[in-house]
Amino acid sequence: MTGARLELRGIELSFAGVRALRGVDLVVAAGSLQAVIGPNGAGKTSLFNCISGLYRPQRGAMRLDDRDLSRLPPHRAAGLGIARMFQNIVLFEQLSVLENMLLGRHHLFESSWWQDVLWTRAARRAEVRHRERVEEVIDFLHLERYRRTPAGILPYGVQKRVELGRALCMEPRLLLLDEPTAGLNQEETEDMARYILDVREELGVTVVLIEHDLGFVMDLADRVAVLDFGEAIAVGTPAEVAADPAVVEAYTGMGAGDG
Amino acid sequence: MPTRPLVTSYEQDLRLFEDRWARAGLVLWTLVALAWPFVVTDRWVTTANLALTAVVGAVGLMILTGFAGQISLGHAAFLALGAYTSAILGEQFELPFWLAMPCAGAVAAAVGLAVGPFALRLRGLYLAIVTLGLLFLTNHVLHSLPELTHGVSGIPVRMYSGGTDAAGEALRFSAPWRLGSLELGFDEKLYFLFLALAAGAAWLGKNVARSNSGRAMMAVRDQDLAASVLGVHPARSKVLAFGVSSFLAGVAGSMFAYQQQYITIEPPFDLNLSVQYIAMIVLGGVGTVFGAVAGALLFVCLTPLMETVGGWIPFVADLSTHQRSTLMFAVVVCVLLAVEPLGLLGVWLRVKRTFAAWPFRY
Repeated sequence: MTGARLELRGIELSFAGVRALRGVDLVVAAGSLQAVIGPNGAGKTSLFNCISGLYRPQRGAMRLDDRDLSRLPPHRAAGLGIARMFQNIVLFEQLSVLENMLLGRHHLFESSWWQDVLWTRAARRAEVRHRERVEEVIDFLHLERYRRTPAGILPYGVQKRVELGRALCMEPRLLLLDEPTAGLNQEETEDMARYILDVREELGVTVVLIEHDLGFVMDLADRVAVLDFGEAIAVGTPAEVAADPAVVEAYTGMGAGDG
Repeated sequence: MPTRPLVTSYEQDLRLFEDRWARAGLVLWTLVALAWPFVVTDRWVTTANLALTAVVGAVGLMILTGFAGQISLGHAAFLALGAYTSAILGEQFELPFWLAMPCAGAVAAAVGLAVGPFALRLRGLYLAIVTLGLLFLTNHVLHSLPELTHGVSGIPVRMYSGGTDAAGEALRFSAPWRLGSLELGFDEKLYFLFLALAAGAAWLGKNVARSNSGRAMMAVRDQDLAASVLGVHPARSKVLAFGVSSFLAGVAGSMFAYQQQYITIEPPFDLNLSVQYIAMIVLGGVGTVFGAVAGALLFVCLTPLMETVGGWIPFVADLSTHQRSTLMFAVVVCVLLAVEPLGLLGVWLRVKRTFAAWPFRY
């Protein structure tokens, strides 16, 4: 499993007059950790929704390695190895942690529907084989004690971890993390940072990260892109971006000269 | 006695009856079920036949509504299709029941697969209304094909076993079987057939629940957008749920027709029947096969039970048997759902927890 290169060219998305994205260009190198930051309403989550196929941009090209993403429905995008963590946790609340994570492997199951319904040997084998992989992720994220717990009743911090786990179960080549530390306390944020670094290190997955915690971003990211009003106003290393006057203006509302 | 089995492999974790206590329970229930027609009166054998029919239908609706979250008021339409398919195949072609029943399921499933795509654009109450429309449409079509269905006058349902007797007449299922001193009449024979079919339906439902396809249905039920981002094809899951559900409903309709021996269109295949099936799965506990089976058994057995028991209760004894059963039924359902919103499933979980923790309280 290796990371994939993501290339976005001139992405434009509008909702009846509201121009959410106005020609975003972004290239994420394979295996790198790209952060996307920007004020609220800048279009960060809309950009993620375009990549994962939930929104269809009116203009622009999206490629994952050599594959064109622009016309793919979400379940096909998932099949290409695009995994995602949502901003406001979206777990299947009535299902157990184990079932949630097995769902991450849904597109990798080899058994067809009639084999499932008749519980043939192929269905049983697939179930065991994928359970083994899920257990590896459970082990990695220290979720052993929650296996059988319905996801809806878990504490918030654990739910975030389950969501990361579910995304990892998909064997992603591109991992989209939408504010993975939102609502977490200091300790949980540090744990999450450690997990993200480990994912990158051990699996070599390309990671795109939306985050408001700038300290977190500056520590983790290889490169940072700043979105404002649907445009990428700066792209570069964390140090370059932090020194960019346009970024300072977007964040503070003050031009570089206003002092 | 250990409270939980020691699981040492993933294969073991997938078993339906995981430890010897569960297997002992299975053996016990099997013995009770096999002995049933020999120890109870004819009326209770008939009740059991209706209950087993309801089990098959309720498991079908549970897959659609409980697992995939698609509310359907059209379940009676699939039952009607199954019932009329087997009746017509019996009358026109003298087809044996073991061929007619899968055909009944297949016809219902074909219609279910055709309706399924409507569920892709509609949800909740809107889908309920569309499926209600399907019910009216089905009944209208059945009424307007009198050369096949005999319209309002109804159709006799002949149950053939296949093969012919010495006189060249096709063998009827209603002919009694003699096994030594034991004689199995029509109702008893039906009972054993239906028992096997109900067990098969429950097994099928359980397979859906524990497999990848069923998990995808539940994912679509809980969060369909997130499900699609995970690689679940929501349309496929919904259509599969409609297909499997209506197949089982068709088989249940066929069972009902064979049991009744003469069927009309309305009643029984009206909105009331669809609502009864929804009541069964809610009563049992939505989202599990246990709920479908327990709900169907309780629902069908309540009426005769209350007719009997009602005579011993003051004031209630003055009512007619029909009023008695209606009144008691309403009371039981209201109290059960108020006390235990999860239905019989909730009651069962409580009992299990109590025994697992015994002698401590928790």
